[in-house]
Amino acid sequence: MQLFKTPNIRFMKYKTIALAITGAIVLAGVLNVTVFKGLKLGVDFGEGTLLRVMTKTASSEGRIRDLLQTVGLGKSQVSKIGNTGQEFQIRAVESVATKADQQGQLEAHEALADKIIAALRGSEGAAQKARGLVDLNAIDSESLSRLLESAFPGSGPDAAQRIISYRTQTGIISDFKVLDGLGLKPEVQTFLRDKTFLGNLTVLSRETVGPQVGADLRRKAVQATIWSLLGMLVYIALRFKIEYGVAAVFTLFQDVLITMTVYSFTNREINLPIIAGILTIVGFSINDTIVIFDRVRENQKLMRGKPLEEVMNTAINQCLARTVITSGTVFLTVLALFLFGGEVINDFAFLMLVGTIEGVYSTVYLSCPVVLFWQKWFGAKRTGRR
Amino acid sequence: MKKNLQWKVVLTLLIVGGAIFLAYPFNDQKIKRGLDLKGGIHLVLQVMTDDSINIETDQEVARMEDLLKRNSITFTKVTKEGLGRISVQGTLADQEGKTRDLFDEYTRDWDYSFTGDRANLSLKPLVVQFLRDQAVSQAKETIDNRVNGLGVSEPLIQRQGSDKIIVELPGVDDPERVKELIKVTAILEWKLVKAGPAADEATLLQATNGQVPDDAEVVRGDPKRGQGGYYLVDKVAVVTGKDLRTIRRTQDEWNNPAVAFSLNADGGARFEQVTGANVGKEIAIILDNKVQSAPVVQNRISRAQGGVIQGRFTPQEADDLVVILKAGALPAGIKYLEERTIGPTLGADSIRQGLMAGLVAIVAVMAFMVVFYKLSGINAVIALILNILILFGALAYFKAALTLPGIAGIILSIGMAVDANVLIFERMKEELAIGKGVISSVSQGFSRAFSAIFDSNLTTIISAIFLFQFGTGPIRGYAVTLTISLIANLFTAVFVSHLLFDLIVRKSAKKLSI
Repeated sequence: MQLFKTPNIRFMKYKTIALAITGAIVLAGVLNVTVFKGLKLGVDFGEGTLLRVMTKTASSEGRIRDLLQTVGLGKSQVSKIGNTGQEFQIRAVESVATKADQQGQLEAHEALADKIIAALRGSEGAAQKARGLVDLNAIDSESLSRLLESAFPGSGPDAAQRIISYRTQTGIISDFKVLDGLGLKPEVQTFLRDKTFLGNLTVLSRETVGPQVGADLRRKAVQATIWSLLGMLVYIALRFKIEYGVAAVFTLFQDVLITMTVYSFTNREINLPIIAGILTIVGFSINDTIVIFDRVRENQKLMRGKPLEEVMNTAINQCLARTVITSGTVFLTVLALFLFGGEVINDFAFLMLVGTIEGVYSTVYLSCPVVLFWQKWFGAKRTGRR
Repeated sequence: MKKNLQWKVVLTLLIVGGAIFLAYPFNDQKIKRGLDLKGGIHLVLQVMTDDSINIETDQEVARMEDLLKRNSITFTKVTKEGLGRISVQGTLADQEGKTRDLFDEYTRDWDYSFTGDRANLSLKPLVVQFLRDQAVSQAKETIDNRVNGLGVSEPLIQRQGSDKIIVELPGVDDPERVKELIKVTAILEWKLVKAGPAADEATLLQATNGQVPDDAEVVRGDPKRGQGGYYLVDKVAVVTGKDLRTIRRTQDEWNNPAVAFSLNADGGARFEQVTGANVGKEIAIILDNKVQSAPVVQNRISRAQGGVIQGRFTPQEADDLVVILKAGALPAGIKYLEERTIGPTLGADSIRQGLMAGLVAIVAVMAFMVVFYKLSGINAVIALILNILILFGALAYFKAALTLPGIAGIILSIGMAVDANVLIFERMKEELAIGKGVISSVSQGFSRAFSAIFDSNLTTIISAIFLFQFGTGPIRGYAVTLTISLIANLFTAVFVSHLLFDLIVRKSAKKLSI
């Protein structure tokens, strides 16, 4: 199958316009990040508490916020996850920076998380707890096993195991009726109905990052990125020429900027997995860039005397089929992740969708023009490897 | 078959076989999952190493007073000036020589200087560093013991930097309990009660005119143990956690959970003597400065007898107390810098969805390769499968955990593996298009595409190595899977794929299915 017959598009003709467009996007992004919205740092890089909870019955963001309002935390960011209406993510934004020391701040975040959980549990469970009942949606496996063992010697651990693994699978036990399907003895079920109650909330995850670690993670992520960019610059400069290394790294900076810009417009948070996503985009983009540069390097030997701009055009055209096929495949893969990957990798997949398209554009319209302009300004050196 | 082809086949089979052997049967034991995919607790703690310097300084003050007295040097007082700094005041000028000799001989860990009638001593920097370091390793060991007492499978406890400890406990479903268990300093003391319990400090100190006597201190009751109020107790403990010989769960006379202990010879003797002399009085059992219970001494408790700690424990609290006391006290306080709890539900969700997405992606890529490049596409598919097998083998070998960022790394490497094949195949097509033969097109395709594949993979590997070197947890996970599978990629997409073409394409071949 042949994708293109013999393409001959004069890509480099539009280099100035392209650079202007790129500049405009980057400028918009920088403005958006610095002046208007700012990047939303996730708990990893900011500080604070992030909770994910599952409610027993379907609820809504508004109702959750109302509950939080009752304890004065109405400003917390609440977002629905999935479409069951039962899963919510809550980021407490109340500032605790007034606490003098960092330990105090982390503890304040923790206390905030406790407060949120208590508010969402509401008063419903309190009455049952007062009567000595335990919450079947919060108890750990060991305590449940002990509780059942005390009433039914010999079968406690097994029954507890069944119940907990059901709860793990579904996230929450919404009704005692579901216990019917777990193969528990009738007397065990009666006992559970008698001695336990179903709290209206389970905590799926809970992350608290103190200010010290937040700053530390931020610094390390930046440091790691800068060093790895430098590493690439040096390698490409050695294998090609210095201007190619500069152009490649320049391109990568732009990749990161543009992706972050689009990302910042969507109101999503920056956390560590997102950094992994950005690095992946950088990886694809550098791969693209090198493939084109490699072809340019090869063509320079075959097309002696021709201007570099023409050599580049030829290279981009020669690689066009490959670019479309590879990027298309990657795009489809990431689309699959975006559609089927679930909540956890959704942000990541979205970022990748943007990045894949952007990476191709930046190779053609940023790395090549940068090399051209560099040579125009500093003059092309005839030396350099190959 | 040519001889060098035979060798290549053997090498390929060895590597792939080795990878399968390492990763088989591809289960949880072999391929570890990170906390984000499995659920569990991730804690970063900081050891307050200042505490241990403080203790050392306090002890030095006492030792110094003793030393000076024994050597009949007159002084007004020894004062703690700060962290690792003490001063001796009232050293007369004519005693300086003798005092210097004493310092030289007995306080080698301290630097000293004399100004007028006063000597200043400061702990040597090397000693300070040693003490801090020791505090962190002791804390790590204690936490290790406590976690082992909990029976968590495969806990990870390691030092990070100079004073941090990372604790990762997969599959724990009761984070609050674990956090509590790790954090308690666990200094257990038995002290005689002078007065109390009283509702507040003023009432407590009425008998002593509102002053805390020199040899006593005020301690609060532990609200969790139903011990409200304030107690006035002796400053000096009768026995402490260090004197414990054995400790176990038991029940008191009302069948409530309690903890039984027995004492070593030294502590037992002291306990026997003190209880004998104080029948009818209360003795407070204090854990981390909170009174757990304050039973009345009924009679002299003999050395062998030991005793029972009561305090309205739940069975689990009693169990935990046993674990904590067995593991010993922390040498310094700790504080949490970071706490992450991923519930098992979320972990299971992530892995299911991640695997699902990964499978969909891989199958889609493979289907595309076969449709687009026909039989040659099958070579690419085989190369891709081998790449993934080698990756899993390497993950199992290095005991590296698979995390969500790690999956991101795999996606990048799959993309680059596909790209390598596309580059080669497109090059072959170009060669075929200008009328070259099948054999020469295949070999030209590989050799021409090689420099692009090599440079792009190596550039990314270089960046991944830097990320690993300077990055933190999740970024490292990404770097590891990426590096491994890119190295595997160079092997499978170039070496193995070429080998497959060499094996399939006959000299006489007129057409290439591409």
